[in-house]
Amino acid sequence: MSAGYQRGPTSINANLTPMIDVTFLLIVFFVLVSQIVEVENVAMELVEPASPASERMADEQRAVINLVPDVDGGLDSYRLGSNSFPPNDDGRLALRANLIALYRGNQSLRVNLRADRSTEYQHIEPVMQTISDAATAAGDVVPRINLVVIGES
Amino acid sequence: MIDVVFLLLVYFMVATEFKVGEEVFRLDLPKQMSSDAIDDPFDIDEEPLRIRVATLGEGATSYRLVMEGPYDQPGTFDDLFDQLQSVQINDVNGGGLFRADHPIIIIPGRTTRWEHTVEAFNAVVRASYSNITLAKPQ
Repeated sequence: MSAGYQRGPTSINANLTPMIDVTFLLIVFFVLVSQIVEVENVAMELVEPASPASERMADEQRAVINLVPDVDGGLDSYRLGSNSFPPNDDGRLALRANLIALYRGNQSLRVNLRADRSTEYQHIEPVMQTISDAATAAGDVVPRINLVVIGES
Repeated sequence: MIDVVFLLLVYFMVATEFKVGEEVFRLDLPKQMSSDAIDDPFDIDEEPLRIRVATLGEGATSYRLVMEGPYDQPGTFDDLFDQLQSVQINDVNGGGLFRADHPIIIIPGRTTRWEHTVEAFNAVVRASYSNITLAKPQ
């Protein structure tokens, strides 16, 4: 009689360690993604054109400026990444300084402009001027922006 | 423990809001003109087509569009698209007035809402024009 038979039936246990490892990695991934998206995407009602001729966001280096809406078409603040700036001359100067630093790091940077559908143009145009001004100050860079909307997909 | 871990995973998967549906209009802003910029004397100035956009009231359909010049005035953004398409020189329309790279300036008013500005921009892009500028508010 063999030695194995003498010891009785062997029990089979599933090794859960790799599955738990993978699950934890997935949790870390979703936590990080949700934080990044939260910083880039301030909750607002983006414009949703009726027959949009917009295009998908290309995979390129970009900075995101959120124009955080206030009541009556005004602005609460400008937000570049996690930095907030007041919607006045001082805020635009600070925004310009931040953008110059970004443009110096990457001359082909595109700036995504996210604005609420109800925001008045008089509050948005100065930000576009600031972007243009910062690009010029950073070494004659072409100021390229993306106007963010809700597309068809 | 693994139950809790799975619950956490499901929570973050559901709570993570990806940028679903977001698209962009690409736009190159005009550079700030430096004082020592020299105009090219051989440049032929093309008179840009100016489109004014004004918000009239609260609703999304409360707006007014004006195409400067001897054109039929568009009542809606779809009309604007049709108008712009009909005056474009292309393979289909040989008798048009403007090439696809003809400068078009969109002039929103100070209180024009962003939705109306972008809808006008969208109509111009849809009509396959490529040289579009957003002017200062007037």
